[in-house]
Amino acid sequence: MKIQDITKRAARSLRQAKARTLLTSLAIGVGAFTITLSLAAGAGGRNYTDQIVSANTDVRELSVTKTPATKQDGPQKYSETTASVSNALFSTDPLTQTDIATIQKLDNVVSVSPNYNPQVKYITRAGQDKYVATLSTFSPSVTLKYAAGSVTGDLSDHDIILTEEYVTALGFSSDQAAIGKTVDIVADKLSAPLTAPESQTFTYTIRGVSSKSGLAFRAQSSLLVSNSSAKMLYDYINAGTRSYNNFLLAAVQVTSADKAESVKTALAAKGYTAQTASDILGAINTFINVLQAILLGFGALAVLTSVFGIVNTQYISVLERTQQIGLMKALGMSRRDVGRLFKFEAAWIGFLGGAIGAGLAVIAGLVSNPFISKAFDLGDISLLVFNPVSVGIVIVGLILVSVGAGIMPARKASKLDPIEALRTE
Amino acid sequence: MIEVKHVTRTYGKKQNAFKALDDITFTIPDGASVAIIGKSGSGKSTLMHTMSGLDHPEVGEVIIDGEDILKLKQKEVDSFRSRKMSFIFQSFFIQPNETCFDNVSLPLEIANVPLSVRHEKVEQALAAVELLDKKKSRARDLSGGQKQRLAVARAIVNDPQVLFADEPTGNLDSVTGEVVEDLLFGYNKQHGATLIIVTHDPDLAAKCDIQIQIKDGNLESIIGLTPQAALGDQL
Repeated sequence: MKIQDITKRAARSLRQAKARTLLTSLAIGVGAFTITLSLAAGAGGRNYTDQIVSANTDVRELSVTKTPATKQDGPQKYSETTASVSNALFSTDPLTQTDIATIQKLDNVVSVSPNYNPQVKYITRAGQDKYVATLSTFSPSVTLKYAAGSVTGDLSDHDIILTEEYVTALGFSSDQAAIGKTVDIVADKLSAPLTAPESQTFTYTIRGVSSKSGLAFRAQSSLLVSNSSAKMLYDYINAGTRSYNNFLLAAVQVTSADKAESVKTALAAKGYTAQTASDILGAINTFINVLQAILLGFGALAVLTSVFGIVNTQYISVLERTQQIGLMKALGMSRRDVGRLFKFEAAWIGFLGGAIGAGLAVIAGLVSNPFISKAFDLGDISLLVFNPVSVGIVIVGLILVSVGAGIMPARKASKLDPIEALRTE
Repeated sequence: MIEVKHVTRTYGKKQNAFKALDDITFTIPDGASVAIIGKSGSGKSTLMHTMSGLDHPEVGEVIIDGEDILKLKQKEVDSFRSRKMSFIFQSFFIQPNETCFDNVSLPLEIANVPLSVRHEKVEQALAAVELLDKKKSRARDLSGGQKQRLAVARAIVNDPQVLFADEPTGNLDSVTGEVVEDLLFGYNKQHGATLIIVTHDPDLAAKCDIQIQIKDGNLESIIGLTPQAALGDQL
């Protein structure tokens, strides 16, 4: 018998038991739904982190800390060199000026800039309230999304980039209206005696307003100033304190992205720990992969359950159609073809379930994507990404699983004795 | 020519052993109409199953067209049946949910007949039993007599050499039964196919060229055949 004819007959006998076929398919559809969604979530998640990392970090930049001398359990022993950047269980020596000079001398290193993060007191503007602010360093290689204004190249020392929230808080009528205006940043000198506190006001011109983006962590809360400006603020605030010029983190620029790994190795040899952009991406992706594996596990469990459903349905089908099978065998249908007929029916069930489940998953994903993006503030990023190839693989895989489930009933059908089957009494 | 030689079929084991067929031997010439007559349980159905290769007796030969079908492999017997034999049953065994066309098309699909020829053959067979207008109807909507005519169409669609009919009119009233009988004998005469009818209806049996009487698994009598033909080449 031709494959095409068997396929048609298989589809026809399924149509004759519509409710049963549909219910059995739905069981496998649940699995298909879960698996398709978890694959989409995994792909979307990786895609998202990829974009985050490329939007916020520079592939030519390494983030460097000093490698802790020894790892130990329990509280850390006090030593004179123990930096301010330590707590009872975690401690690492800070990077000092000598460290920075050492790193600077390494091959392929363009520049080393310590992480200044000046702890300013507040930001304000004439006639407005005072607001707490966190300053970060502007990097020309990191993609920013501007609501108004824009910066090409580096910021100059008296320029600042605000976020939309600060624009509103500081009483500007619109993002565009803020461009070119000035804001005041006030900082305390920490080394000044308590009895005679000392503080200074620094004035900045607004060059740009960064808009909320699903990708950028920095743009959401930090105000950006140039590296040298950050250093200037840092120097004013911290000069004379114990932790002055001790840094937890430094950003190392290398000549090109492919040199990042070799610089990382060179740094490790000198006693520094470096993280490249891909290291960060890898760490986040591991987390996503674990989550995805858990979801896939649930999907696999649903598929396993549906396998028993298929076996059951097909067994009942064989029993119900004993006479039909007997007749087909009497008419000369070979055992192999009878078996195939039932395996193909199982395949149809798998295909139907896979298509229904995956289809619903795609629809559900496309419908809920805007809501998810809104709920998590992701802007125009979609967290569920459907890859046609993986959806296809899911459906084909489920067809194969169903055929596997159909083997036992198919064997029963193919072994049926036609004489017994056609006995009328 | 169909030669049945020393066929013995035993069911059960040892003390419970029961001989459904006991050393049956006869020969049927091509194109004959044959009635196998006997009470229920006499072994007449078993004989039909053996002659069609569905059942496998312990001893004996069934030679059709010079080939012992009992010695063929399962696959070969299946293929032999699909090309050269067909069946009509008392309870029709048509597929009620399928259309008449699909019911009749089944033997052609099994015999791997190309799609291009199939359509015409099915229509011819349906026309022969006067059901062409029901081509697209579901088989379940047919009356009892129409169902058996559909079964006849399915049986003749692939031009079989041997047509087995197991109590073909058992479930029909006398008028519709006669229509089916006429169809069967008509096919038998027109195509020169061998018609083998298993029945306990003496009227139907009387219409056949040869009557083979079976009782308790033994050949009781053969009427209509010369003794020489009946015993084949034993004499």
